[in-house]
Amino acid sequence: MGTLAAAQPLLIGLLLLWSSYGKFADPQQADRTALPRLVGDSRAKPVYQAVAVVEALIALALLLPPSWAIEAFAAVALSAGFTGFLVYSKVVVPEASCGCAGKSAKPVGNRAIARALLLLATAGLATTASTGWWSAGAGVLVLVVEAVAFAMLSAELDRYWLLPLRRFRIRLSHPYAGTASDDTPLVATQRRVLLSPAYRAVDGLLRSDIHDYWDDEDWRFVSYAARYDGRRATAVFAVPHQDSTPAAIRVAVVDEEGLTLYRPTMLATTG
Amino acid sequence: MTSTMDRRSLLSRAALGATGLVAATAMGSLAPETAFAATQQFADAGQPDPNFAEGLIMGRNQDLLQVQGSDGRLHRIQLTGVTSVWKLRPTTIDQARIGDGLYARGVLLPDGILAAEAIWVNIVNLTVAITAIGRNGVQLDHHGQKVVGHVQSGTTAAVYNGTPAVSDLSMLKVGRHAQVIGAWRPGTNEIDIATIYTSN
Repeated sequence: MGTLAAAQPLLIGLLLLWSSYGKFADPQQADRTALPRLVGDSRAKPVYQAVAVVEALIALALLLPPSWAIEAFAAVALSAGFTGFLVYSKVVVPEASCGCAGKSAKPVGNRAIARALLLLATAGLATTASTGWWSAGAGVLVLVVEAVAFAMLSAELDRYWLLPLRRFRIRLSHPYAGTASDDTPLVATQRRVLLSPAYRAVDGLLRSDIHDYWDDEDWRFVSYAARYDGRRATAVFAVPHQDSTPAAIRVAVVDEEGLTLYRPTMLATTG
Repeated sequence: MTSTMDRRSLLSRAALGATGLVAATAMGSLAPETAFAATQQFADAGQPDPNFAEGLIMGRNQDLLQVQGSDGRLHRIQLTGVTSVWKLRPTTIDQARIGDGLYARGVLLPDGILAAEAIWVNIVNLTVAITAIGRNGVQLDHHGQKVVGHVQSGTTAAVYNGTPAVSDLSMLKVGRHAQVIGAWRPGTNEIDIATIYTSN
């Protein structure tokens, strides 16, 4: 137990350095945290940088000899502060990001709070140490396990292990492997209609979005509400399933009584 | 339903050229200007477009919707048989329900009612990153916000690298950026996906 406790300052020190570096590298992150709400807009950035300085100082004190008990207590106070801040964030400004280490737009979640609690626990354990981490011996090996736990709780690191893992799982078996079909999605038909000469011919008459659509043998039909000569009408497009040329799409404008008012494709074919 | 079928078959025949034209004059050329000249009033600069409304459906009396805009304005929107209704897919006017959000275009009548020509219910357009793909949905990250995208068999389509849309979603990849057009499930962070545009 003694060596385990003695080893903790090494991990805490490295974590605080990482966190401090992230804050120094991009102080603008302060605006995305709950700090502007807590201390005011103008003071958010200086406070954020001040926290980074404190983190760096405590980290260096923990990492470098000599080993004083006060260092571990300072780490406890800091991590208790983090935990409190994150809980405040989650409750008061739910959309605020954690601003813990590096760039992340993710709002404070349970993982960030769990990580702060884990840091608090390790700092608490470190207060019982009687020697420095450099004389901890085998206790340092346990840090590997703890470091993995910290990494898994860090949303900032997800893209290095979690996303590749999910990508690999999907390569083995894709949940939507069976979704391919011969049916043409409506959005594909709509795109063909929009790019066709028939659509250009009646574009100015159309008043609505797609009103109705149906399939009949080799054709898909798409209808729109239209106005023709001040009268209410329907524009109906016929899109062939087989022929993919834009000119193959036909259109007619039909009035309420079912009489065909206008059919520009006929004009094109009869010259 | 029969009348819908009759109308559809009539429209099908008209589009394919199996019906005669009403009058010879109907075959005359139709310049776009003629059509545009007939359109409704345009909005004054700096003023809200009178022919547009958006908001939450607070009440529905038959086909008249009471809609509260996000700017606090109240709109009355009349749906008719020729109003196009989009709710994940083109659908019928009875699908616009209380609690749904909508965008509407139409013609503002003198009595202040907007006669809707087209409405889009719960429509959403999001830029996202795909963070996970599972059987019960696609997990999306929209600038830090978690959004769950549900796949509706027969409706959800994917566009890969700008090629024509297909129903095959098996090329979706974790970590890719995507644009999603879908329909919110009101009051949740869940959407049904209409079209997802991504790369493969």
